[in-house]
Amino acid sequence: MASRVVSFTLNGRPVEVIVKPLTTLQRVLREQLGYTATKSGCRQGGCGSCTVLVNGEPMLSCLLPADEIEGQVVMTLEGMTENGNLHPIQESFFEKFAIQCGYCTPGMIMVSKALLDHNPKPTRDEIIAAITGNYCRCTGYEPIIQAIADASQRLNGN
Amino acid sequence: MTAQYYYQPKSSSEAVELLYEHGPAVLLLAGGTLAMPLVNEGISKPEKVLSLRKAGLNTIQRNNGNMAIGSMTTLTQMVEQTEVPILQEAAQAIGGWAIRNMGTVGGNLFAPPPAGDFAVALLALGASVMLTSKRGKRTVALQDFYTGFLTTDLQEGEIVEQIQLPLPRGKTAYTKFGRRHANTPAVVTVAAHVLLDGGVVKEARLALNAVGPYPFRAKKAEAALVGSKLDAITIANASDIAMAEVEPFTDAVASEWYRRKMVPVIVRRALEKIAGGG
Repeated sequence: MASRVVSFTLNGRPVEVIVKPLTTLQRVLREQLGYTATKSGCRQGGCGSCTVLVNGEPMLSCLLPADEIEGQVVMTLEGMTENGNLHPIQESFFEKFAIQCGYCTPGMIMVSKALLDHNPKPTRDEIIAAITGNYCRCTGYEPIIQAIADASQRLNGN
Repeated sequence: MTAQYYYQPKSSSEAVELLYEHGPAVLLLAGGTLAMPLVNEGISKPEKVLSLRKAGLNTIQRNNGNMAIGSMTTLTQMVEQTEVPILQEAAQAIGGWAIRNMGTVGGNLFAPPPAGDFAVALLALGASVMLTSKRGKRTVALQDFYTGFLTTDLQEGEIVEQIQLPLPRGKTAYTKFGRRHANTPAVVTVAAHVLLDGGVVKEARLALNAVGPYPFRAKKAEAALVGSKLDAITIANASDIAMAEVEPFTDAVASEWYRRKMVPVIVRRALEKIAGGG
């Protein structure tokens, strides 16, 4: 059997890739498609830096064989901007100093997007619960929590 | 060897056919949260992979006071069901959001301690596993399914198709103690189900994880509860007995000594939750 063609939707556009069995979505995104916002951190499912949305739900692309995403809808950080403008969540991260080294940021923003899509007005505890799988070693999390709360307000028109 | 074949059966019967055909060397993949880290590290180098994700095993069925959980049901699905709160709590205690979207109930049975914090709740509920192979189906009580560290009663050619349990008739408690509040391996996890009759314990199941080679029931502590009122003396006694039933280990999370010391504390907290009426 060896390689196969996998078709899926990436950031709103249909794509086809030829993948060897068991190749992770992370490698397909970074190495085959050049979408390097999705980071390669621990590759153990521990750090969350490779988080992408599959059908709107956060998943770890380092643990997901590309064979599984046939016909699925995948969103990465590259899909957040619209017409060259930052997404409101990105603006909040920028303005609230929620980014230092930036390594966790793509995963943080993807999980924030999923949270705010599911729950447009999360409580502080709900925000904390949503990002427990995403490690940040710079900020101490507080600016990130505030950025997500701020993004919630922006997206709700305040 | 890089993987050459990736099979995605559409049913459990197709899955066991493929497993029979390709033998024990095939990597059985559920959510991938245990297997893929080993693949990424180069520790696991399967030539053939059999993914169960699309085999239609991700449903929760109820009938006659029983629940049957398909083995590929995700931990997120278990958080979202509301019928058995202890299973919500147990699922919520595992990993982060993305891990729960991927990790499965069936896969968690094979998570070596200190992981396995869903299986311990299933033990407290008296769950059984339904195993399927080309030879047919059989059901094993979960407490008999484990045979040692990383070993189970799963025979060649078998997959876990379903986890079956009676809906709890008594009170339940789930207490996971880790180094952080969330997304943490356990120092010790306790799951309990106690059926009271006029204030007296009629039935008790007390399951522990992260303090032995697999999730297990503290049978002597259970026996010490049955027939007594669930008061402070009974709880303290059962908690001490549970401490004598554990075989803790040292890892990056906690030492053997510390885990042993925490067993009676966490058992007591779990039983106090039940006694407190909760």
